[in-house]
Amino acid sequence: MPKKYDIEQLVQKFKDGDKIALARLITLIENEPEKATEVFKNFQESNHESYIIGITGSPGVGKSTLTKSITKLLLEQGKKIGIISVDPTSPFSGGAFLGDRVRMTEISLHPNVFIRSLASRGYRGGISRAVLDITLLYEAFGMDFIIIETVGVGQSEFEVYNLAYTVIVVLVPGYGDAIQMQKAGIIEIGDVYDVNKKDLGGEDVAAHIDMMLDDSSATQSGWRPPVAMTNSITGEGVDELVGHILDHKEHMELSELIEERKKNRFAYKIRELLYYRIDRILESLINKNEIEQLSASIIRDGKFKIYDAVHDIFSNVKFEMKKKDSD
Amino acid sequence: MPDKKIRVLMSKPGIDGHWRGGIVVSRALRDAGMELIFGGFQNIKEIVESAIHEDVDVIGLSIHSGAHLTYTQQVIDLLKERGVLDDILIIVGGVIPAQDFPKLKEIGVANVYGPGSLVSDIVEFIKERITK
Repeated sequence: MPKKYDIEQLVQKFKDGDKIALARLITLIENEPEKATEVFKNFQESNHESYIIGITGSPGVGKSTLTKSITKLLLEQGKKIGIISVDPTSPFSGGAFLGDRVRMTEISLHPNVFIRSLASRGYRGGISRAVLDITLLYEAFGMDFIIIETVGVGQSEFEVYNLAYTVIVVLVPGYGDAIQMQKAGIIEIGDVYDVNKKDLGGEDVAAHIDMMLDDSSATQSGWRPPVAMTNSITGEGVDELVGHILDHKEHMELSELIEERKKNRFAYKIRELLYYRIDRILESLINKNEIEQLSASIIRDGKFKIYDAVHDIFSNVKFEMKKKDSD
Repeated sequence: MPDKKIRVLMSKPGIDGHWRGGIVVSRALRDAGMELIFGGFQNIKEIVESAIHEDVDVIGLSIHSGAHLTYTQQVIDLLKERGVLDDILIIVGGVIPAQDFPKLKEIGVANVYGPGSLVSDIVEFIKERITK
């Protein structure tokens, strides 16, 4: 039998600090985003703010282990931490193998930590649609820090930048030469850089990042991103990395740059929610069978007619705006 | 539109190095469209706490050490103590002698999969029990 959730009861327990209720509200909002309205209206009195850290980097660089090591130090300082770890959903089966928590067993029983694994569920950019909603739930739950660990990313999945106040880009020895460091995308978004697996070398990677940062105009905000080197398994260098994170936090708070990031965080979500609704209207205007038929006829009659075909479809779309029943 | 996925925690209670069975079944559940949280080696408290944080529908215990009766009983007791036993389906797999199947079912295990089981049966069983 599928589980049943009683929002009112869950909210009551959530307010008493019950992790079971937190977990179930997450499930509810992840599965049925339209329920968020009903859930969030119970938290309108809450003005607690958490500091949000994003950790991103390629698959296998050690993001989960690093998340564990960072969290361990913050827990020692008496902080409450909420972790969101995202792994990819299969484009074929819709299933996912979520293998981040297994790296965090060491901290998983601490009373001040909550760890949730999420599948990306088709959302692009290295996170999942529910991430912002879950950060809001964590804030209402009273977390001091929230750590968002992205999917193992390539060069261009930088959505975490829109949600976190401090972004850590994790690299490993062998990442690439000075040319890789000049590329746009992931390599630009770090507030702090970390070369993990330092037992394998990586001094050259750290030097290349340093050079890139020295040449960059990105330091106009008064913050020159530091470059740490860690071994996330032994914990070596992690205290220095956490020091950098806390320095950046202080910089953000003193310079009030954090207000910009907060604005960005909500603007990002508002845009996404609006686009999501508009997309649903647009989808209803376009006949999916027609696309498949045209695609077949183009293959038959000549692929160079593709632009004409799109033009034909477009001129047939009925553009009267009708409001769909809102979600 | 609800976008409900079946969430499963796959854990190996205690210490035995037989890792492959849990991985094979996990992979099959992934390919059947479920969200599989791989817990790996965990003690009883870690299993229950993970199941709570992840709000799973199913816990799969992969046990090859011979201690399946003890471990499974401990997991069930702690789930009950935390008040979530009724919401979670428990399945056990591994090197489990057939004469222990009824004992496991008696203490609350939904199904047991010994050597030679088909992963397709596991998938079907979970889908049947969780979605209906």
